Parts: sequence; C-alpha cells; structure tokens
Amino acid sequence: MQAFLTYSIYGTALFLMLLGLYAVLMKKNLIKIVIGLSVADSGLHLLFVAVGYINGGTAPIFSPAVAGTGTVMTDPVPQALVLTAIVIGFGVTAVALALVVRLYRKHNTTNIDEIKNLKW
Amino acid sequence: MTDPVYFIAIPLLTAFLLPLFGKIYKPLIGIIPGLVFAFTAYISFDLYFNLEPGKPVIVQMAGWAPPWGINLVFGEFSGLIVSLITFLAFLVWVYSYNFKKVGFDNSKKYFTLLMLMVAGSIGVVLTGDIFNMFVFLEITAISSYGLTAFYKGRDSAEAAFKFLLIGSLSSTFILLAILLLYKQTGTLNMAEIAIKSQAIDPKIKSIIAILFFVGFGIEAEMFPLNGWVPDAYSQAPGPVAASFASILAKSGIYALIRVFYTVLDVEGIFNLLLTAGLLTIIFAEFTAMRQTRLRRMLAYSSIGQMGLIMVAFSFNTKAGVFAGLFLMFNHAVIKTLLFLASGFLTYSTKQKKIRDLDGFGKIMPFTSLMFGLGAFAIVGLPPFSGFWGKLNMLTATADSNLYLVIALILVVAVVEIIYYFKVIGRLYFRERHEDVNIQKPTWNAVLAMSILALVIIGVGLYPDFITDYLAKATNELFDKAGYIKHVLPSLSLN
Repeated sequence: MQAFLTYSIYGTALFLMLLGLYAVLMKKNLIKIVIGLSVADSGLHLLFVAVGYINGGTAPIFSPAVAGTGTVMTDPVPQALVLTAIVIGFGVTAVALALVVRLYRKHNTTNIDEIKNLKW
Repeated sequence: MTDPVYFIAIPLLTAFLLPLFGKIYKPLIGIIPGLVFAFTAYISFDLYFNLEPGKPVIVQMAGWAPPWGINLVFGEFSGLIVSLITFLAFLVWVYSYNFKKVGFDNSKKYFTLLMLMVAGSIGVVLTGDIFNMFVFLEITAISSYGLTAFYKGRDSAEAAFKFLLIGSLSSTFILLAILLLYKQTGTLNMAEIAIKSQAIDPKIKSIIAILFFVGFGIEAEMFPLNGWVPDAYSQAPGPVAASFASILAKSGIYALIRVFYTVLDVEGIFNLLLTAGLLTIIFAEFTAMRQTRLRRMLAYSSIGQMGLIMVAFSFNTKAGVFAGLFLMFNHAVIKTLLFLASGFLTYSTKQKKIRDLDGFGKIMPFTSLMFGLGAFAIVGLPPFSGFWGKLNMLTATADSNLYLVIALILVVAVVEIIYYFKVIGRLYFRERHEDVNIQKPTWNAVLAMSILALVIIGVGLYPDFITDYLAKATNELFDKAGYIKHVLPSLSLN
C-alpha cells in the first residue's frame, strides 16, 4: 500500500509535467500555453515535496514537545525550495499573462498561428 | 575589505527604492542607477585587484556556515566576471541615462529592470549554492523578459513571449536537475556536491548533466535553443541588447562552466559542449550573412561568438579556458560597442535595414567610425583586442590537435568579414539616400562608446594588461580542490 502511494505520487508528478509540456508545445491558444507552463511547474513542485517525504514523518517544526522523543521529521529543505519555486512560478505566470494581454491588444487574437510578425 | 554581498544587495535594494526616489525629485531616476553602478564597479575592481592570490573571499550569509548556509565566493574567476559585468553595466547606464524617446515614467521602469538584471547576473556568478543560483537566474530572466517588451510600438511583446516560453522551460529543466542532485547528494552547496557527486550513479549523473546543459544553454545562446535571441535583440532597446550580450549571456555561460568544471565531472560532457558549440557557430554565422536588418545580423553574430566561447571551454585545457576567457572579454566589450553604435545608426530608420545605412559614414562620422572599429575588432584584425582572442583560440585548438576545428574557425572568420564589411561598405562607399534624417549621438553616448573603443585599442596594443588576470582566473577554475578547501575547510576532496 505504501509503495503504491509513493509510486502513484511520483507518477502523478511526472504525468503533470508531461501534460504541461504537451500543452506548451501543442496548443495554439496563448492562455492555454501559459496554463501548460503552470501545470508543468506544479508537477515539479509535487515531485519536490514527494522526494522530501520520509515515511511516518511529521511536520519539520522543532518544538519542546518533539524534542528528545525520537519523532521522525520530514526533510524541510525541499519544502523551503518548493515555496521559493512557487513564488517564482507565480511571477513568471504573471509576466506571461501581462504579455498575453499586450499581444491580444495588438493582434486582436490569442491564436499563436496568427501572431507571426517575427519569424517563429 | 568589502563584503561581496554588496554587489547583489545594493542594486537589488535600489531597484525597488527607485520609484520612491522619483517621487522626491524626478531626475534622481536617471542619476541614482549611475551612482549605484559606478559604486559597485568601483568596489568590485577594488576587491578584485586586492585579492590575495589563491585566496577567494568567502562570505557566509546569515551566519550559517556552509554547507548549511548560502555562501558567496569572490575568487579570481568569479571576481573577473563580476568586475566585467559591473563595468559594462556602468557604461550601459552612461549611454542610456538620458535617452529622449521614453520619458519619465518609462525610464523608471527601464532602470528598475536593468538594475534587477544586473543584480541577478552578479548573483549567478557569485553564489556558491546551486539553488540560489537558480533563484538569481530567474531574477535575471524575469527582468530581461520585461526589458525585451519595453517598447510598446514594436513587436516586442511577441519577442518577449517567445523568450519567456523558452526561458521558463529552461528553468523547469534546471529545477529538475537540482532536485535530482539533491536527492542523490542531500546537499545544495556546490562545493559539497562536488565532493559527493563522485559517488552518484553515472547514468543519473548524465541525466542531471543533460538537464543542466539544456537549461543553461538557453541563456548562453546555444544552438538549437537560441530562437529567442534574434527577436529579443532586435525588439529590445539598443542598450538592452548590448547588456543582453555583455551581461545575460555572460552569466549563462558562467553557470555552464562552473557546473561542468567544478560541481559535476561527467564523462563526455565536453564533447557534447564541443559539438553544440560548433553547430552554434556554423548555424549562426551563415544565418547572419543572410540578414537584412542590422540588429538581427548583430544578434546572429553574437550567437556565433558565444559558440566560439563554448568551443574554447570544451577543450578542458588551460590554454582553452584562457582563450575562452579572452573571447568572453572581447565579446562583452566589442559587442556592446557594436550594439550601442547600431542604436544610433538605425535610430531614425523605420525598417532598421542595412541598406538604409548607405553613406552614413559622411553624415554620422563618429558613430560610423565606432561601428567600423567594432567590426574590425570582432572579426579579429590587429591591432584590436579581438585579434588576440582569436589568436589564443587558434593556438589552443592546435594544442588540442583539432585541426578541422581550426579550419572551421578560419572559414567562419571569412564569413564574418564578409557580412561585417558589407555593412562598412554601405556606410562609407555608397551615396546616401535623399530623405534621411539622422540622430546625432548624445554626449553621454559618445563618452560610453569612446571608453569602449579605448579599451578595445588599449588591450589590442598591450594585451599584457589583462593576460595576467585571465591566467589567474584560468588557474582558479582548474583548482577544484582549492575551491572546495576554501569553501568547506573541514572537508576535503578524496
């Protein structure tokens, strides 16, 4: 059961990343491309948290109640990294959406095939 | 002794305070960034020239000793790159501090983004923590998306969106590589990874290496990941294109070198780098020949130069790294001059085409002269600094017994001569069109270009000015055990 859970989390993370990549590469709508980027990021974040998990571990907060009881804690580093990565991903998504707004105003479309002033 | 953290902290802090300064007194928007860049350039030169040989300055952030805390390493290699970046950032400011097109509101955004980009690039170079490097890389990347989209009239949003797509895919790859590395070694400190990475399964190590290679290769303008380059360079403002070539690409290639020379030693990665570099050169130079727009031509030429730098670093010999550093210096200085000059040459032409520049040598003598000087220098004619870079490159290639690569470099030099001299021929040997209106360069632009030209000629006549420093930087890059020993005194390389 435990092994199944672990692998299903890894599988979901991988699936999300591939799904996001698929959307970025194949979709024609700018908004969908941005969503794809965001989904791929989420998959990566899930993978981060899954890697840091230790079986039966509690939240990595040090307090007098846990001190000396031998309680196992999960690895705090990936969680800190994921927080940073989420913020960065948020920033990138915001910039991307702002650019989509500018592109829409200029070209009156969100279809990437119709925006071809520069060579793609 | 200056604390290297100032190189990151001061531009980062001022970038966000800039709008407030603007509220107090509007011209401060233009002046404050200059003061900041001048100060960081001054302290980085000061620290770099007073560096004790073989003893990098190492700072621990927030009082946590490495490998737990984040550390900054200002050594002979990273110090050289930081000094170069701060110096060129200052010149870019000198050039752009009163460009008239944009007005107050926009120059606020421009300088904020420019300072963020410089702070991020310096952070990439200085940091000793792999995740921290990723964060700085993202700061650099996000601010350069903003800078690319700066002019509203052009197709800049399209170029920026393209850049963003490629850039965020690259950051996903880098993050995945960092995750795998952390899973394998349990640390993020680059020195400690360098010790522990020897125990990683070679298969996983090559996956990590490929992910880093692709991720950093995008910033370093490597073929085939450089689709963003010509668009971003041609749509961004002139000084921004200059700073992309001199600052953004430099931090990308630095990250690539640092990871593959110090952090991971992967079998065969240098052959991959050699192949990618050669493909980059061939693709870029032959595409540059066909370009009709000046900016795009310069962008492809810039890609070609970066390819040459990658080839130089891929030899994994001291001569190769020395030549690579010389080429990096040349590319940073000369390409900046070319982009700055091209900014005024194409200022009033609508299409920014090369054939609009007929006869500009007579009506814009100074800017044309500067462009010509830059073009002579970048193709490697003596007595300019470009000559010494190419010469060192050729001897390094000969040392590695890669004679076909020598032939390729020479062929490519001829191609470079063809397309640069096509522009010079139009500037000087054509009658000018009737209805051209020109933009005289402002005095500060003249100053910035003159300083760059002086550096190019000075280093060309007396290459000994910089060869000592480049040699020291080369030795530091190869001294992996020394790097680890300085960062982590308690551990050592087995």
